[in-house]
Amino acid sequence: MAQPPSQAASLGRRRRPRSGGVVATVFLAPALLTLVLTRLAPAVDTFIASLRAGGTWSLANYAELGADTFREAVVTTVVFNAIINPAQVLVSYALAVVLSQRLPAVGLWRTLIFLPMAVPPAVSTVVWGIWFRPGDGIVNSLLAVVGVPDQPFLTSPTQALYVIMVIASWIGVGYWMMFLIAGIKNVPIEMVEAAAIDGAGWWRRLITIVTPMVRRQLSFVLVAATVANFLLFVPVQVLTRGGPAGSTNLVMYEAYTQAFVFNDPGPAFAQITVLVALVAVIVAVQFRLMRGPTEPLRHAS
Amino acid sequence: MRLDMPRWGRMPLAVLVPVGAILWLAPLAWTVASGLRPGNAVFRSFRGLNWRTFIPDAVTAENVGAVADGTLGRAILNSLIVAGATVALGVLISAMAAYGLTAFRFRGRGFVFALVVLAFMVPFEALAIPLADTARDVGLDNSYIGLILPGVGNGLAIFLLRQFYLDIPAELAEAASIDGAGAWRIFRHVYLPLTGPAMVGAGIIIFVFQWQAYLLPLLLTTDPSMDVGAVALARLFGQYGVDWGMLFAGAAFLCLVPAIVLLVFQRTFTESVVGSAVKG
Repeated sequence: MAQPPSQAASLGRRRRPRSGGVVATVFLAPALLTLVLTRLAPAVDTFIASLRAGGTWSLANYAELGADTFREAVVTTVVFNAIINPAQVLVSYALAVVLSQRLPAVGLWRTLIFLPMAVPPAVSTVVWGIWFRPGDGIVNSLLAVVGVPDQPFLTSPTQALYVIMVIASWIGVGYWMMFLIAGIKNVPIEMVEAAAIDGAGWWRRLITIVTPMVRRQLSFVLVAATVANFLLFVPVQVLTRGGPAGSTNLVMYEAYTQAFVFNDPGPAFAQITVLVALVAVIVAVQFRLMRGPTEPLRHAS
Repeated sequence: MRLDMPRWGRMPLAVLVPVGAILWLAPLAWTVASGLRPGNAVFRSFRGLNWRTFIPDAVTAENVGAVADGTLGRAILNSLIVAGATVALGVLISAMAAYGLTAFRFRGRGFVFALVVLAFMVPFEALAIPLADTARDVGLDNSYIGLILPGVGNGLAIFLLRQFYLDIPAELAEAASIDGAGAWRIFRHVYLPLTGPAMVGAGIIIFVFQWQAYLLPLLLTTDPSMDVGAVALARLFGQYGVDWGMLFAGAAFLCLVPAIVLLVFQRTFTESVVGSAVKG
């Protein structure tokens, strides 16, 4: 039977998780054990290493964070993420909507869009570096066909960061798209049908029924993309090395330079600690925001 | 069904989507074409852009053959073993953890979830050196177990599954528990069957993590026969200058495997179940 949307949406709300800390612990134990051993314990080690300098406890590593290069790297990283994350969520959702239509061989097209994620990032980055080469690169050759003059791309302080965004998104959006397709396929069909019977057109069904129902997957993608892009590293290392003029010097690359080029891991650990703290704060805000505007829908009935 | 556009909207898509998907992969197609060229021709091939840019002009199976029977072939097999075992183990324990996080109310649930999120927030590259030290201390270097274990616990996969489990109506689990089903049976017969696409998604996350793994396997293996694909590929950079043709042929092989895996699992995306299960 078709249900009115608001009533069906409230099903999730009326869940009453059965209490049972012991049973929950049993189910959580294997994953928590591996996460603690392979992620959290070494992370704590790294954090502790950031608090030591010259054989004693010291905040010396953090004192160096006031330097201009690090502050500029933080600003670059925040600007980069303020643009790339909303863009990736939008593009991957648009792709997911299109590729969840019934189309001939749609599984094949989804696989093709996803495929960049399967290529080793160093390889796809090298490929794109050749494509974006100034002078005889393929992108410039294509632009010349439509009469656009040669662009400097990765050699320009104003364009390089955007080229990195394009490359990172080419790799990422097909990956995010897969989770959103899974979310769209999860939408209870009778809700969409009920809206159609009520005369809602395709666009209205997408915006008012399907999109709110996919919000958990959308917030997953937003959080996951934010983390991935704050930690982005390979394209910068392979293509620009933070340049030109520091315009692509993201915090991860700054930390890498500190640790391996200057051979001074202490400050690098401090930089990574600050970066993780920054991401944690932003993700916490995202969780709040994603909860806020959608919650009233679930109380609607 | 579902979200299908009206017919007039879908007709052009049937053409636009294939064209777009193929253009999307143009840089990769070029890579594959390069892999089939003799080494030194790779960078000469786009003076004057034309259709031949994407078609190998001297198709030599030489590069492809070298990949198949060289160390790279062995390394890709290692990657398959490692990724396969990690996905099987990882999806199971991730699903169990997500179930523990959503189906039960207990003190500290928010804290446990925060730990899960924190676990994928720490850049893994920064952890590779301490992890490799630990693995060596317990004798897990140059072993499959040493390569598999670091990929098994995956906070992102748990997070994804949790998002899907939150949408499972509590009524289903309640009905099952009234019928006398225990927690494991509810997990096994209610949660798992309802979330096939989410499990495929979690599998993709874990698979990609292992398929792309580079720094930790590099630190963990000294025996070349234990190298994984990405490491063996990178070693090609070092030896006697770079053989770009060989490198790109190897890269093409490396992305062929995930493509096939994904194509096979496509079917799981085509059907949904929650709707029909609630349908009453």
